[in-house]
Amino acid sequence: MPTFTINGKEVKTEAGKTILQAAVANGVRIPHFCYHPHLSIDGCCRMCLVEVEKIPKLTIACNTPVTEGMVVRTNTEKVLKARKGVMEFQLINHPLDCPICDQAGECKLQQYTFEHGITHSRFREEKRPGRKRFKIGPRVVFDEERCILCRRCVRFCREVSKTGELAVFSRGDKSIINTYPGISLDNKYSLNTVDICPVGALTNADFRFQVRVWFLEETKAVCPGCSNNCSIRICHRRGKVYRLLPRKNMDVNKVWMCDNGRITHKQIETSNRLTVPLVKKGNKLEEVSWNEAFDTIAKGIQKIKNNEIGAIGSPHATNEECYLFNKLIKNVFNIKNDIECIVPSWEADDLLIKKEKAANPQGAREFGVKTNDTSSVKKIIKGNLKALYIIGNDIIDNSNTKQDVLQTLSKLDFLVVQDTHNSDLSSIANVVLPSATFAEKEGTFTNINGFVQKTNRAVPCPAKAKPDLEILSGVAKAMGRPFETIEPDKVMDEISKNVKSFKNICYEKLGETGIKINN
Amino acid sequence: MELYLTKNFKTRGSKTLKVYLKNGGYKASKKALKKMKPEEVTEEIKKSGLRGRGGAGFPTGLKWTFMPKGNEKPKYIGCNCDESEPGTFKDRQIIENEPHQLIEGLIIGSYAMGIKACYIYIRGEYTMQAEILQKAVDEAYKENYLGKNIFDSGFNCDIYVHRGAGAYICGEETGLMESVEGKKGQPRKKPPFPAGYGLWGNPTTINNVETFCHVPHIINNGADWFKKIGTEKSAGNTIFGISGHIKKPGTYELPMGYNLKDLIFKIAGGIRNDNKLKAVIPGGSSTKVLPAGMVDVKMDHDSLMQAGSSLGTGAVIVMDNTSCMVRVGIVLSHFYRHESCGQCTNCREGTSWIHQILLGIENGRGKKEDIDLLLDVAGNMEANTICALSDAAAWPIQGLIKHFRGEFEDHIKSGKCTCPESFEI
Repeated sequence: MPTFTINGKEVKTEAGKTILQAAVANGVRIPHFCYHPHLSIDGCCRMCLVEVEKIPKLTIACNTPVTEGMVVRTNTEKVLKARKGVMEFQLINHPLDCPICDQAGECKLQQYTFEHGITHSRFREEKRPGRKRFKIGPRVVFDEERCILCRRCVRFCREVSKTGELAVFSRGDKSIINTYPGISLDNKYSLNTVDICPVGALTNADFRFQVRVWFLEETKAVCPGCSNNCSIRICHRRGKVYRLLPRKNMDVNKVWMCDNGRITHKQIETSNRLTVPLVKKGNKLEEVSWNEAFDTIAKGIQKIKNNEIGAIGSPHATNEECYLFNKLIKNVFNIKNDIECIVPSWEADDLLIKKEKAANPQGAREFGVKTNDTSSVKKIIKGNLKALYIIGNDIIDNSNTKQDVLQTLSKLDFLVVQDTHNSDLSSIANVVLPSATFAEKEGTFTNINGFVQKTNRAVPCPAKAKPDLEILSGVAKAMGRPFETIEPDKVMDEISKNVKSFKNICYEKLGETGIKINN
Repeated sequence: MELYLTKNFKTRGSKTLKVYLKNGGYKASKKALKKMKPEEVTEEIKKSGLRGRGGAGFPTGLKWTFMPKGNEKPKYIGCNCDESEPGTFKDRQIIENEPHQLIEGLIIGSYAMGIKACYIYIRGEYTMQAEILQKAVDEAYKENYLGKNIFDSGFNCDIYVHRGAGAYICGEETGLMESVEGKKGQPRKKPPFPAGYGLWGNPTTINNVETFCHVPHIINNGADWFKKIGTEKSAGNTIFGISGHIKKPGTYELPMGYNLKDLIFKIAGGIRNDNKLKAVIPGGSSTKVLPAGMVDVKMDHDSLMQAGSSLGTGAVIVMDNTSCMVRVGIVLSHFYRHESCGQCTNCREGTSWIHQILLGIENGRGKKEDIDLLLDVAGNMEANTICALSDAAAWPIQGLIKHFRGEFEDHIKSGKCTCPESFEI
């Protein structure tokens, strides 16, 4: 562990760290554009120049390893002059269009300009023109004039997504970022280039001009897109979610997330959300009060023999929901049959995307749910099952014999569907319970590698829809066996007492990035 | 004055192996490989005081000692024949006239550093020269001066001629390495340094063509012989190239420390049309200009440094009194703007800004404060980037303003060129 001095303060740092990394670790801020902790070092922006004793020239903090006894100064007159020089160079050809730039408010160039008090330009020449609002990929918009050529996006595509679509073309002041001829910036992770772009050159085609970033509130959550459970921030305002951004979690997603994950919030505000409880009267589903819905379920279930009732859970449900659903089925309904669920899947890759396309199949399994089991359907065909309680609609959504399944399910005497969206399944149900999407509820997910993370409620449920925990508790109460608690943290305490692999889990210990279960 | 580098240039067939052998060629490499240990060769070069002839003047022997001793990784020599510094054309003369001198130097250098492969990076525009060089390499292979078991010494060495694609920046050693590897020519950040992480991540030493050509002569005649030539800190001869408004432009082999004024007036015949001398760029376009009053100076690293310029590649560019210094600045800054690789902010933006300010002055748009702005921009470009191109673009402008500020002021005041007979741009 070398000891070195930074701005007069003697500090220790890990061996092999660069000045910039050691400075950050010790709370000293060194401005930089091209350096990114999860990309290779480029050293081209020249913003992080610092003074090091015994080195005659200023040296870049991002690429200079700390050595024993090194004396570094980051705030001398020489350093500040050099930094101001770099800022001036960055700005001469920059359009200075902050008022109409979507990056304003989270722009490094804007921030450093403000910090350095640069108020006028000595540049009297014509600014270099460039292509504006150019769709460099299906999801990314490029503004060449704003680009400061830090090449983070180029390195991302070469080193992280390993797709290498981008390069710097031409040289000198004609240098431009572009895709190689004939291809576009179209990979599963392309929107990360927007996150790491320090300026407004690369913007998200979907998010741009929707809202000024300083109006956005952020809620720490977990991406429900697949069983990797990337840590995310939900950016929202007045109950509307505008974008999802990755949140640093070294065990799970580092600082990245996939493009598909970023559109998972689109489900929240679609027109086919279920917003009120429905009960089938005659041949029509009619809006009812929650109490009426719960009572209808209690009466319906009590009419049918225990061994003729089945339950299909959801791989999208939180750990707490899985646990309480289990409790409802096993303890309240007194059903011996296993709870099943169908997990949608897609093609995995070796970066983030996992095969199971649901937030919590691993958690469901921990609670004894049989994933990818459809014995209920077979039982219905045989006439052994008369009632079914289903959360979610994966059973039809991921079946290639959707119509057959629907027809089979329609033979049931009693079907309860608890779901977020209207579907062919909910339309044949006897009772429909409108539930919450990931952004509307609190709880934990267990990812495929066993990391349990907390996700938080960012926006309220639409109309009368409720978080699943409240719904399950309502049913239990109507059955005359209310749950002791439905507070997510209390439910987790109960889980850790009863489920062995969750023994070490409680909300206080989870922090922002979660911990691993014992198995 | 004893010539050794260019002594045989006028001999008929000097570029052939036959003539080179007749003139005593490959004696030095035989001596080194058969009678000397590699360390002894390096030591001899170190003792000779040979400094790199590519511009920076770094001690060659010392550079060779930076190479790791072991053989865990392949090691390489990169021979810099990019020769793209404006005003410089000395290496070209060597290749055209006596390429075997370079090959022999490379063999000795490879032996000293335990290297099995050398890459000669020759600038793309040198089409004919690349052919001559390749022919010489082929000849050497045929006679087993290259390849396996050279002179039955058990030492193997290969030389590859690699042609550049026409970029000034590929003369910078790490830009050169990127280009050899087939990548876009742009310098690498340091650390790591080439001696540890060079071509394909392996230890590499890059020297200039002329530097290698001194090596056989040092091995033949000894370090003490070499040290006696030139000055105390800049030993040996060098090939000066002189161009511009001069009666006898060309290359001249002279000892280091030769007087610049004598070079211009005695060796190169004086100024064209017997005009008055106005200014001299002493070491290639990147070095700071010297006004006529300062040309009584020795052409070695230290003396020119004292005079506020540098020896560079020893490429002297002479300008007579018709030359407009603003236009000189435009020509130079246009070159650097065109050749900047564009990765460092300061260089990418600074080179184009300087060029545009100077164009503004030339076209009557100049303002009084532009001169200080030029100095400020040049100051911000200096010493703050990955490679020295940014410095090389800043220095000539600083030099021009330092010595000819009045001319810039007049140009701005009158809104047009004040040298009616000047060259056009």
